Amino acid sequence: MIDLELIEQCRGGNFTNFRKLVELTSPYAFSVALRMLGNEAQARDVVQETLVTIWQKLEKIKSAEVYKTWIYRIVVNKCYDHMRRVKRNPEFNVNETTWTMISNTVSQAPSAELENREISKIITVLTQKLSSKQKAVFVLSDLEGMTNDEISEIMGLSKSSVKANLYHARKSISEKVEKYL
Amino acid sequence: MNQESEKYNKVINLLKNSKPRLESTEEIENEVIKRIAGVHPVVSALTGILDFLFSWVYIGWVRRSLITSSIALVVIFVYQQGVILNRIDFLSRHTIVIGKENISEQTDQVEKILMNYKNGVRKLPLRTITISEKQMNELIESVNELQLKYKDLEKLIEDDPEIKKLMEKKLNENNRTKI
Repeated sequence: MIDLELIEQCRGGNFTNFRKLVELTSPYAFSVALRMLGNEAQARDVVQETLVTIWQKLEKIKSAEVYKTWIYRIVVNKCYDHMRRVKRNPEFNVNETTWTMISNTVSQAPSAELENREISKIITVLTQKLSSKQKAVFVLSDLEGMTNDEISEIMGLSKSSVKANLYHARKSISEKVEKYL
Repeated sequence: MNQESEKYNKVINLLKNSKPRLESTEEIENEVIKRIAGVHPVVSALTGILDFLFSWVYIGWVRRSLITSSIALVVIFVYQQGVILNRIDFLSRHTIVIGKENISEQTDQVEKILMNYKNGVRKLPLRTITISEKQMNELIESVNELQLKYKDLEKLIEDDPEIKKLMEKKLNENNRTKI
């Protein structure tokens, strides 16, 4: 649990306490980053960049409540940057074999937890046609379990925009699921 | 529940329940500490003040708008103050300061004329006639002195019946009632 006391101790330049903050923050920053980018190495980079930004802007954090929202906002923005770079160099091609592999994974492990590699592949394939915004809204809402209000605050969008993006994302994914799985 | 949404929910639930695992957090910790070592959070005085004033606004664009508009208002205020001070300075160099004068009911005609003149001078265009306060005070003092002498003279005439008679005679000759 992150509290204001820990944040204030870090402000004084205490690396030991900052390690604690890193330990508490990185798992959910990594979760969002991996689900959005579909690449473990890039997700780790985003987590590192996010933590460096946190260190540089610790002064801005006035309460523990806003900390989590703030972290998500930084992670999402960093992911946008990475996605923009990847868009210029697309490297992932989806073919029949990929779909068969995903279908097998889903049917064989319906309740078991997937590996990072499998999660990355499935999300990347399902969200390939989505815009960055739609992808972020889908990840935060359906995979991270956030409310529309929280997403609206994190992404700086209106609630209706969040709903619209989520609707289009779900529709696109649902069509793919129906067609290929 | 139709087959489509069933399939969709199955996939989403699977993804939702499969939380990405971050292996070797220590590696990330070390890397981050390495990057931030020597990069201490630096807060400039201006940033500190702005944060203190606007930290209650969490929406970025609202905060930026508030900061911009407040800076604009401060600049306008300072500019206006400058203009006003310049104007005051300009006027103080070109106006005649009129001292307080008690004008009694017995004020002499000369003093009335003088006061009218003083008032009239203010209406003259700037830089046409310039009379300093000192010059004006000297003028008023000399008028007052003259009035006192006139009163002394009147008293002398009143006290001496011969001079009084002579004066009345002279005044009658000139159709006047006062000296």
